[in-house]
Amino acid sequence: MRIQDAERVSRAVQTLRGRRSLDGLVDRLFDITEGSLALDRATLHRIARGQTRVARAIDTPEDCIRLYFALMIVGCEEDVPLASVVEEGHAVLTGFVGEPLAALIFRDLSATLPKLRDRVALKEYLEEGLRIWLPR
Amino acid sequence: MATAMTRPVAVRSESNTLRSFELRLRTYLAERLHVTTRFAPLGGTRAFLVSPADRERTKGLVIDERMTAAERVYLYVHVAAHIALGHNIPMITIVEAEATEPADEMKHELAERLARSMWWRGSDAEVGGSLPAVRTSRLLRSLVSWRPTRALLRWALVAMRSAYYRTGVVRALERSRATAWLAQALCVAAVVSAAPQLVSAREG
Repeated sequence: MRIQDAERVSRAVQTLRGRRSLDGLVDRLFDITEGSLALDRATLHRIARGQTRVARAIDTPEDCIRLYFALMIVGCEEDVPLASVVEEGHAVLTGFVGEPLAALIFRDLSATLPKLRDRVALKEYLEEGLRIWLPR
Repeated sequence: MATAMTRPVAVRSESNTLRSFELRLRTYLAERLHVTTRFAPLGGTRAFLVSPADRERTKGLVIDERMTAAERVYLYVHVAAHIALGHNIPMITIVEAEATEPADEMKHELAERLARSMWWRGSDAEVGGSLPAVRTSRLLRSLVSWRPTRALLRWALVAMRSAYYRTGVVRALERSRATAWLAQALCVAAVVSAAPQLVSAREG
């Protein structure tokens, strides 16, 4: 998949990973996505540093959506402020799939967010969102 | 998945009839409506239903782990009503919270009305036929329809159940129709107490 705005995606990944190392982030993403994201360490390092526009392991829009949910879950776990989790998650998705598809996926989060009371509920929502996008 | 699946905690005061009815409805949601259920801490949110982009895939219902069996029974009927009304649009999440957003009021009101009808008339064998002794009882329905008589009935049924177990009468009468009726009446009283909107829109 070709990243449309590598610099913005890099900033978003750096924000969402919180205090985690990039290696720790890869491990956590692998764990959260039940191994369905074959994102290797070297590629993630390059994405996080804004050094590449090509993420070969992220081949399909479904992969991008899983990465979007997984990174936001990490953001919640790292106590990143909720507004940043949402904003940076949107930036990751837009960077990968472009605004039209990102807006479609993001619409549900935008509508649901005001109804969720706290971080715990948001994290559960993100986990359920990820679950329905996991390969069958 | 990041969070381990949790199971609802069995509350001592909840009857076995109520818990087995809750489990039956949960199974019904999974098998007939393709809704998988899991329990998690949700803060102030009661539950939400996430619908995938692909209608073939299962929908995910996440329920606050503090909800009682009676509250969950009502929630399942309410969710079934939402699905029957086609509210489970792909990639639109239905949130059940204390306060309803103005934009969602109509949707929840319609589901409420249908849930009430499903609960009392039984649109489906699983919902309608699981409590046969009381579903047809006008006496019970009128007793649970009014808050004071409902509270009194529930108190009396809990006291009777307690006496049944304490005295050992339960062993002699466990297969009797009267015992089945009373167990089901207690189940209905618990659910209606948890969700008074099942008897009257005004009470909800």
